[in-house]
Amino acid sequence: MATLRIYNELCKGAEECGICLYVCKEEVFQPSETMNQKGYRPPVIVNEDQCTQCENCMIFCPDLAIVVSEKKQKKGSQ
Amino acid sequence: MSELVHPYHRFIRPTVTHSSFCPGCGDGTIAQSILRAIDGLDMDMDDFVFVSGIGCAAWIPSPLFNADVLHTTHGRPIAFAFGIKMGLTEKKVMVVSGDGDLVAIGGNHLIQNARRNIEMVVICSNNGIYGMTGGQAAPTTPMGVKTTTTPYGTFENVFEDISGLVIAAGASFVARWTTGHPRQLTASIKKAIQKKGFAFIEVISQCPVQFGRKMGVGNAVQMLEDYKNRSISIQEAKKLSKEELKGRIVVGELVDLDKPEMVEEVTRMRKKAMGGAEAAVDTGRS
Repeated sequence: MATLRIYNELCKGAEECGICLYVCKEEVFQPSETMNQKGYRPPVIVNEDQCTQCENCMIFCPDLAIVVSEKKQKKGSQ
Repeated sequence: MSELVHPYHRFIRPTVTHSSFCPGCGDGTIAQSILRAIDGLDMDMDDFVFVSGIGCAAWIPSPLFNADVLHTTHGRPIAFAFGIKMGLTEKKVMVVSGDGDLVAIGGNHLIQNARRNIEMVVICSNNGIYGMTGGQAAPTTPMGVKTTTTPYGTFENVFEDISGLVIAAGASFVARWTTGHPRQLTASIKKAIQKKGFAFIEVISQCPVQFGRKMGVGNAVQMLEDYKNRSISIQEAKKLSKEELKGRIVVGELVDLDKPEMVEEVTRMRKKAMGGAEAAVDTGRS
């Protein structure tokens, strides 16, 4: 299962908003040229392997457009 | 292989396809912090009644949240919330609105209900401007800033310490965070929901479109960076002098007290009065 998912239609653009690119320490996201229906350019996931599942992008995203899967250790500890 | 689903999309009203905020607005982060707090406490949207006024931040519960919401007149959400709490004492009442709504126009409702210490959560998103109507100067706009209504710069002193006002009025829980601290904000909202008394949380929120871009403060990322640099925890701030704290944002849980709560007091008084009344009109009939 994928670690990350971006809801492209909810995103308001890496150029206009760009909070996910700022809060991600591992540079998982990159701006892209693909436009969504509303005319914004959502970021693309480039190094998903680098993702530490810190959930920063998910927590900061103002449009609830990013999901990060839960940490495996967290599930084990419960 | 199933696709990942956002855990908080179930709290969003099904008819709402996207949030009504500008790109990079801090209100979306506040919305998610509220949902995280509710989910973290294993509560349901049915346990809550949300009240919002007029302004950008008022769009957080209405129409975004799939719950009972009152979208009220400008400046009056706390007055409506007061009525709801007195009628439906078992419900949790949460007011989500902006600084222009709660502090500028509805200022006295905020003061008087903090004094009454009625159980409710008030979340005030402070972006320092009237954003929704086009960037007019608000009481929270810093001095000298050029806005739509003050093309040569604001000439009024800024309303610096909203939390201080609420503390002085007598609220039992007051916290201040910025949108750069969503994890801490969620923890504070959790505490505020469980608090018996008036809980006020001021969130310094970025407005990249009306405040940042027009005033040259920058975009959402630059504003978040600025909050990160300027914020200082309350424990650290206590060691510093007033001059050193100029321009800094003191964040943290400023006040957490146990005080008599109004609904409880009213219920107790009603019981007392009813007990007396029943004895007085006892006609001997069963």
